Parts: sequence; C-alpha cells; structure tokens
Amino acid sequence: MTEIANNRTSRLRAVRSYIKLYRLLIRTSIRSRMQYRFNFALGSILAALIQLSEFLMVAIVLAKFGSVQGWSVHEVGYLFAVMTFSKTIYRTFGDEVHHLERYLVEGELDQLLTKPLPVLLTLMPRSFRVMFGEVIQGGAIMIWALGAMLGSGQVTWWAIPQTVFAVLTGAVVLFAIGLATATCGFWTTRISMLQNMTEDAAQTAARYPLTLYPNWMGVLLLTAIPVGLVNYLPALYILRGELGIWVFPLLAAAACLVLLFALRFWAFGISRYQSTGS
Amino acid sequence: MISFRASSFTGNIRLYRVLAAKAYARNIQYRGSHLLHNFASAIFGYLYACIWIGLGRDHSLGEYGMLGMMHYITFTQASLWVSSFTTNGLGIPQSVRTGQIALDLMRPVHLFAHLAAKEAGQVAYQFLYKSIPVYLIMLLALGLTPAENGRTLPIALLALAGAAYVSLCLNYLIGISSLWTTESSWLYWGNQAMMNLLAGFFIPLQWLPLWLQHIAWASPYPFMLYAPTQLYLGKGEAVLLLGTLAWCAVLTLLCLLATRLLRHKVEVQGG
Repeated sequence: MTEIANNRTSRLRAVRSYIKLYRLLIRTSIRSRMQYRFNFALGSILAALIQLSEFLMVAIVLAKFGSVQGWSVHEVGYLFAVMTFSKTIYRTFGDEVHHLERYLVEGELDQLLTKPLPVLLTLMPRSFRVMFGEVIQGGAIMIWALGAMLGSGQVTWWAIPQTVFAVLTGAVVLFAIGLATATCGFWTTRISMLQNMTEDAAQTAARYPLTLYPNWMGVLLLTAIPVGLVNYLPALYILRGELGIWVFPLLAAAACLVLLFALRFWAFGISRYQSTGS
Repeated sequence: MISFRASSFTGNIRLYRVLAAKAYARNIQYRGSHLLHNFASAIFGYLYACIWIGLGRDHSLGEYGMLGMMHYITFTQASLWVSSFTTNGLGIPQSVRTGQIALDLMRPVHLFAHLAAKEAGQVAYQFLYKSIPVYLIMLLALGLTPAENGRTLPIALLALAGAAYVSLCLNYLIGISSLWTTESSWLYWGNQAMMNLLAGFFIPLQWLPLWLQHIAWASPYPFMLYAPTQLYLGKGEAVLLLGTLAWCAVLTLLCLLATRLLRHKVEVQGG
C-alpha cells in the first residue's frame, strides 16, 4: 500500500514539475517572439484579415442565398466562430504538433528524443503562438451572432457558458485529431496531405451545417474525423433546442475519448519511429 | 553591381531552361507522393462542390445552375496548383534567413529571372502531375464531362499560363519583403486568402457585394482564377487575356524595381 502511495506521490510531483516547466517554456517562447515586435504586429493584423476573408466567403454565400438548409446567417456565424475559437486554442498550444513534418523530415525530432522529458512536452511549447488576430475576429463574429440571437430571444444567457464549454471540448477534439494525424508521420514522414483532409478540409466543412453534405460525409464528420462535435452538435442544442442537455456530458466524454486514443496512438507511433537522418 | 539589362536575360536562355528542367526533375522524384496529394486536393474540391450542390437544392444558382457551379469548382480547384500554390516567396525568405541571398545576388544572372525560371519548372510539374489529375478526379467524382466539350480548354489554359506568371511575380514581391520583415509567411497566407476571396475561387465574382467587386477588379486576383474559369465555361470574352497581359507587364516592372531596392538593402554580416 505504501509503495502504491509513494508511486502516486512521485507521479503527482512529476506532473507538477512538468506543468511548471511547461509554463517556463511557454514564457520563453513568447519572449522570443516579442523580440520581433514588427513581425508580431504584422502577423496579428494579417491573421485577422485572413480570418475576415474566410468569414466573408461564408457571409457572402449567406447574403446571396439568405439561409443554408434552414440555418440563419447568425447561426452559421456562430458555427464559424466556435470553430475559430477552438482552432485558436488548439494551435496556440499545439502548433508544433501540426508542424511535426518539419521535425521528421529534417531529423530534428531526434534531438527532442534525447531530452529527459516526454517528447510532446518538449515539442508543444517550442512555438507558443499568441493568436490575437484570430481571437479578435472570432470574438467579433461571436458577439455579433450571439448578440443577435440573444436580442431576438432565440437563446438565453445560458448560451454563453454552454458555448465556452463547447469551445473548450472542441479544442481538445481538434488537438486530438491533429495529434493522431501527426502520429501517422512516424510511418509516412510526410503528413501535409493527411492534414489537408483531416484538419483543413474537415474544419472548412464544419463551417456549414452538416446537413448540407451527403449523409456519408455528415456521418464521417461526426465519427472518424469528428469536427462536427466541435460546433455543429453543440449548436443543435444551444441554438436550436434540438437533442438534449445530455449533449454536454457526451461532448466531454467524446473529447476525453478521442484525446486518450490520440495520446495512445502517439505513444505507439513514437515507439515505432525510425530516424530519417544519417 | 549587376543591373538589369535585356542582354542579361536573353543571353542566359539556356541556363533558364536548365534551371526549369532541374526544378521539374527534382519534383518528379516525389511524383508518387504528390499523386496521393492530389487525392486530398480533390477531396477539398469535392467538398466545395457539395456545398454548392446542397445550396442548389434549395436555391437557384443563377446563371451557372448547379451543373455550372460543379464545372466552376472543378476548374478552379485544378487551377490552384498553377495559379496559387506557388513556392512561398519563391524561396527568398529562406535565402534571407540563411544569408544565401547575398550569393544569389552575386550570380551573373538577374535574381528575378533566375528564380522565375526555377519556379517555371515547378509550375510545369504541378500542372502535369497535380492540376490534370485533380481535374480528372473531379470530373469522374462529379460525373462531368469537360465544359463546352473541351473546346474552350486552349484559351482557358492560355489565361492560366498568364495567371501562373502573375502568381510568380506576386510571390517574388512577397519574398523580397522578407528583407524588411525578416519573415513573410503571413504575407504569403494573406495572398492565399485574397486568392480565395478576390480571385473567385469559391464564389463567382459577380456574386460578391459591389464594393468588393470593385476592390477585386482593381487587383490582379480576378485574372488568376476567375478569368481563366470564365473562359473555360465559355462565359468570358478573349479580351480578358488583355487584362492578364497588362498585369504581367506591371508586375514584371515592379519585380525589377523591387530587385533594385533589394540590392541596396542586403547587408552581409559575419565572416
């Protein structure tokens, strides 16, 4: 019994020291970015413009056709904003996971393997991205969409904490998808093609209500590449009162499950990794 | 100092051809992987087509109709590999970071012509191994035959060649900006975003709000995707090619001027 308790204590201590170290690495990453203030400011402005142009593409479609499969412009704006926020959280913390290909191709992963820390913990804080542009853009669309729906009485103030919950579970789901995709790189080295499908295409698809797509694609986006869990499923309840309150425990359980699966897959992948360097 | 002279371009035609051929040959080593990549690109195209098919179920799609929009997306998705997916800054940001740019400027060839030749090989490869397969996959997936029975393909391809050159020039300018910004990836992505919005990649330009249409037509973007696509669909006049030609000329001049600025900006540090 004492041994089990000791193990638990040492594990907790290790986790605490990892978190402390993680914070330190993040601070270092932010400080290194701030050395290039002009780049940072330019990057943030352009990121906001890129986001704006992406939303304009959706907004123009809605302005032209009025609604998409019965979803109003505000509802589709909400889908877009939730996806933007979840993606922003994922990429703020896990940008280097998304860029694992570079480490695999250039053999940099080998250096990380020599460090006395879990690879993921060393990898993730290397580029902590402060994504002001996305936050401003996502925030503006969210305020506009939710504000209009609150004003019309379509939703109550409860929608706000519920949306925060959806954004957080969505970020976990997107991270898990990104991590599982990156793990494939341990076998294939190149992963950009896969990322195009599992991340870029899937996230683009989820900006619209999934009923717009053929059934097989809708099912795919809720199961194999579950981006529909990020915004579409919670929106069905929060905005339209469909399904039930059980959506939230379901989202939490699904997020935990996909994260667990992705972490297991990552651990398996890294055990099969063969260096590409000489 | 190496200045721009017509002779420095024409005297090196053989060199440019070799540079283009080498870039093509380098890419062809990865054709298997790239052919797989096409699958991802086609999925993207299919997704966009699905959005229009879904919208077409409830709404009229104007002068295009559902079939027209499927052709529209098929052509724009395939064209992206020629007129949009040009190398980020033609590799200049990387050269600036490593200091290679100083050596590139010392070469007895003009930097713009040198990089343009290399990119031409890359674009030729992408056309053959990416655009054509994506086009064919999308035709098959959507059950289409070439628009206008393929009669409009030659003129559309001509416009696309011009679009590739315009894209090359824009990326050269983006690359050169890295001398001031130290990294230009945001400009590259900004350019991609403008391609999506102002080049008519997903939404035909006439469906944009009027103010956005004005902005679009004051830029080269419509000539990079929208004009070739209109020609492909048989909806555009050959006079659109003049616009492409004009932008090619203007951007070439800008690239040459930017190179001159670049020469004054480059500092070699360290020993």
